[in-house]
Amino acid sequence: MNKRILFSFILLAALTLIFLLLGVSAGSADISPAELMRVLMGRSSDGTAALILLKIRLPRTLAAFVLGGALALSGYMLQTYFHNPIAGPFVLGISSGARLMVAVTLVLAARGALRLGSALMAGAAFFGALISMMAVLLASSKIKNMSMLVVCGVMIGYICTAITDIIVNFADDSDIVNLRGWSIGSFSGMKSDQLIVAAAIVFISLAASVFLSKPISAYQLGESYAVEMGVNIRAVRIAIILLSSLLSGCVAAFAGPVSFVGIAVPFLMKMLLGTAKPLCMIPACFIGGGVFCIISDIIARTVISPSELGISTVTSVLGAPVVLMIMLRKKKNNA
Amino acid sequence: MLEVRNLYAGYGKKEIARDISFKVNGGEILTLIGQNGSGKSTILKTLSGHLRPLSGDIIIDGRPLLSMRREERAKAVSAMLTDRPGTDMMTCRDVVETGRHPYTGTFGLLGPADKESVREAMRLTDTEELAESRFSEISDGQKQRVMLARAVCREPKVLLFDEPTSFLDIHYKLTFLYMIDRLRKEKKIAVVMSLHETELAAKISDSVMLLKNGVCTGLGSPETMLGRDRLMEHFDLSEELYDRYHG
Repeated sequence: MNKRILFSFILLAALTLIFLLLGVSAGSADISPAELMRVLMGRSSDGTAALILLKIRLPRTLAAFVLGGALALSGYMLQTYFHNPIAGPFVLGISSGARLMVAVTLVLAARGALRLGSALMAGAAFFGALISMMAVLLASSKIKNMSMLVVCGVMIGYICTAITDIIVNFADDSDIVNLRGWSIGSFSGMKSDQLIVAAAIVFISLAASVFLSKPISAYQLGESYAVEMGVNIRAVRIAIILLSSLLSGCVAAFAGPVSFVGIAVPFLMKMLLGTAKPLCMIPACFIGGGVFCIISDIIARTVISPSELGISTVTSVLGAPVVLMIMLRKKKNNA
Repeated sequence: MLEVRNLYAGYGKKEIARDISFKVNGGEILTLIGQNGSGKSTILKTLSGHLRPLSGDIIIDGRPLLSMRREERAKAVSAMLTDRPGTDMMTCRDVVETGRHPYTGTFGLLGPADKESVREAMRLTDTEELAESRFSEISDGQKQRVMLARAVCREPKVLLFDEPTSFLDIHYKLTFLYMIDRLRKEKKIAVVMSLHETELAAKISDSVMLLKNGVCTGLGSPETMLGRDRLMEHFDLSEELYDRYHG
């Protein structure tokens, strides 16, 4: 058991290293591995290569890692909270809520009511994510059946999407050009100061999650068992939901809607580790999500190079089959 | 020792059990007998900390339950609940280890003393050979024994069982109750449980409380409480029905 967990983490660390390097070296400008090493060690004489690597590819790859990790972790927290393996920020309509607020913000900015900036976009997305989360929570206090709750989240997602479409219809194309870009989702275009903000939020949430792993493990047994074990159930619930909102809001703000990572990665990690213990799952989901998104990002920018695929397109292709696997497996277990 | 004095229990404003008083010494079993809705579960849930008492006192070894912090309470009282635990990918040992939760540190890792308690509890409940099996893949009777090991490894002063034998066949019912019987004597634990099977309750209990509509209608030895006339009255049974069942 312990050997398997140790092996899994060594594997994850190796994959992280490999794909971080691949992520930095993949791209339309041809930069040799030797040059890459020189730039990373700060001994390069080629200014253009250094610029491309340090200003474009490195931030992008790191963003994919940090935000991918955040996505997977927020998915894991949501699945724990709802005791449902297919809960996630995308399924529960949280990404759609973020998109709606981004659309509103863009239209208001075009009317001159707001001054557009990346901080404002990020704030709007975060706010939208929180509102959807509140709606889902409100529904969850009434609906005890978990599959109905997921349907409810999907409906909230549709409502947000419909309202967004209405807003888009009334707006000028030029006003909402940014929305289209945002909706596709991408890890590119993150400046290093934004990356630092995102990384700070994500790493603080990650650390907090690790410190919550003991009460979370009690919560996994069910709420009445957690109470029996002496856990302050209300505090734990609030902590879980705040952390997952913070994480998914952060991703929505900086990368747009990215689907399926939050569901697929925790499932894959559970299979890899052979345990669902939060103390192992929380770091594994983070690293696994990071690697998953670096891989998706590499595919997104190389398959139809020099053009790019949306990141969600790739994560859906890779992630949706995993979700199908979860449901098939569940069926088998119930039978 | 567990002492309950003039306990009123229920949900929010809704009073379900009224004016309940009893004492259970370490090593003794008190069994609550009553129909569904008579307040058995409500009393047990109040003792286990799931419900706040509306009024009255619950005292464990001289300390009021309400004065204890959550983790202290969990160390003193463990309960086997009717809910099925969520045990995704957990082995039976993992499930038993969750019983040590109130004793472990920040990250919930078990120390040598915790591991020893877990081993001991699994030995006493005959679950050692299940240790590495997935909890989801064992039988109901085995699950109940693993959950018993989980409750016992905490080394509580009070053990609570809410209808622990409901879904078990007669073989597992008997082995399970025999195990509780042995454990409470060996570990000097005060046991409070609810049972539907009056014949089994008569064999295992030191005292029996009859509950009807949330009120105690009798508290005493199993012989006096579970006699023919008393039971007929308690469960609203006609003579014919009673004799057909017990004859």
